[in-house]
Amino acid sequence: MGDGYDLTHRDEWAIQCMERQLVVMDDLAARAGDARAWLALERQANSYLRHLGTWLAKDRIFPGARSEMADHKAALEAYVGRAQQEVAGVDPEVLEATRAGLGLRLAVIGKGGAGKTVTSSTLARILARKGRKVFAADLDVNPGLAISLGLPASAGGMPPGTIEEHPGSIYGWQLTGDMTPIQVVEKFAATAPDGVRFLGFGKIGPASEGAGADKSAAKQSVAALVHLLLGIGEPDWDVIADLEAGPTTPFERYHAFSEDVIVVVGPAWRSAMTARRLLPMAEGRRLTFVSNRFRDEPDHPGMPARVRIPFDPELAEVERQGLAPLDACPDSPAIIAITRLAEMFVNQEVPV
Amino acid sequence: MKIAVCGKGGSGKSTISGALARHLARQGHKVVALDCDPNPNLGISLGVARESVESMSPILNALLDSGHTHKDPKIEAEVLLDRYGVDAPEGIRLVATGKIERPSDACLCCGSHNTTRQFFGELGADDRIVLADLEAGLNDLIWAKPGADDVVLAVTEGSAKSVEIARRACRLAEELGVRRIIGIANRTVSDVDAKRVGEELGVEMFVVPEDRAVEDADHLGVAAMDADPTSPAMVAIGELAQRITR
Repeated sequence: MGDGYDLTHRDEWAIQCMERQLVVMDDLAARAGDARAWLALERQANSYLRHLGTWLAKDRIFPGARSEMADHKAALEAYVGRAQQEVAGVDPEVLEATRAGLGLRLAVIGKGGAGKTVTSSTLARILARKGRKVFAADLDVNPGLAISLGLPASAGGMPPGTIEEHPGSIYGWQLTGDMTPIQVVEKFAATAPDGVRFLGFGKIGPASEGAGADKSAAKQSVAALVHLLLGIGEPDWDVIADLEAGPTTPFERYHAFSEDVIVVVGPAWRSAMTARRLLPMAEGRRLTFVSNRFRDEPDHPGMPARVRIPFDPELAEVERQGLAPLDACPDSPAIIAITRLAEMFVNQEVPV
Repeated sequence: MKIAVCGKGGSGKSTISGALARHLARQGHKVVALDCDPNPNLGISLGVARESVESMSPILNALLDSGHTHKDPKIEAEVLLDRYGVDAPEGIRLVATGKIERPSDACLCCGSHNTTRQFFGELGADDRIVLADLEAGLNDLIWAKPGADDVVLAVTEGSAKSVEIARRACRLAEELGVRRIIGIANRTVSDVDAKRVGEELGVEMFVVPEDRAVEDADHLGVAAMDADPTSPAMVAIGELAQRITR
């Protein structure tokens, strides 16, 4: 009972989200058999705590769920404590190395046309080729990531059975309660080339094409997808999300799940201005700047490029044809540069 | 007349909008330019100084800072234009209808999309041209709701993804009842390229050629119209301005 308030639908939704987070935590704990698994559990609890912090910071959002939030915070902190106990006997250096080797949590942001989607899709497939389990999510209502992964443009919308209506959720829908996020991915995500698993929104299109000329139709699964990303605690899965261009989706914290943020910038001055506006929203995550369509320009001030993807006419042609770059021009300089980026993440060459 | 410019991120919406506004103003029209992108940068293409663009006072933030919420009465678009607009070259008035620069749990319903709709819908256009450079993608087109007498420009460069978004924009505009929809094949490298895009979009087409001068201006963060108004792309957009107003 929320502090004497009548619970709003929004409060009820928040409480359900928190209950489902504890289901995820219980599931991870039940399967935790080694230090790596406990470190993953600790990371997951911290990720939920960070997200909860943003809810708690705003008094007015869930006025009726304050006591539940306090309880939830305590429960998550108890999980962190338990995980730390479980690994207390392990050499700190080993622990640090194990922690750094947990599956990646990457969000890719930047101005429209900067090259987010080519970077995300190629990175996802290269990681999969290295034998890793990879889940890629498209957080853009416009078509894109599916094509660049090598799937049909319409692939990967949240399938029926994975989402259900809830009046308190943003756009009215949430993840169903009978599966954990990782179970949804394993059972329902589309399988792209190299075994990358993929989910996205429905796409905005004219009513005659079924989606309806209505952004809420395309976006109805947003809360489900964001919470799905946030709830993948498995140590062995890499998670990559391609965000919509510009500041709207980072503003709405679609990248809440991420530990690393890849900022893709093009040579244009306004591409760097966009990135400067996006940075405050990365909120303490590790940043990796990728300079795309590089010819010979100096890095934008304050944005040292860790990888420079060269200007590549072959890639532009592949984009014209709507093909997956990794299939159509595997040996192009751009693909070689993105391969190098994948290796940096796999080898834990931590960003400066 | 009202003109809404839409397309995928990076397709060249702002470059086209900025140069088009400048040409329209040079041809004697009074122009109000709306930058509807929550990441406003139209000012660059209009020829506003980089520092001013980066620090432009955006309406969404100004309203939030003044404690304005969606429950308060709306302020008229003309008043907002006076209060928050900035002057651009050739008498153009520029206003950023929304900008987000910090994480927040404030809803966007009283944010950029709503101000876009308000401006595009409310501003009178009998004796002036209101030109809206919409946010990347299709959301803003739904929000701005151009009507039968408005003009929609669907800008695309050659990539399949960009063409697909422009195609959807054309169909959306048709469903909204817009009578004049012009597809802009931007950064076109060949006639074959332009023809292919035209067939995909199925609307009146206009071609803006690939132009290294525009790219160089973009790198420096200056308006292509100021860097070289005689470059092929700028000349083409001058013809576009004439075609639209004829």
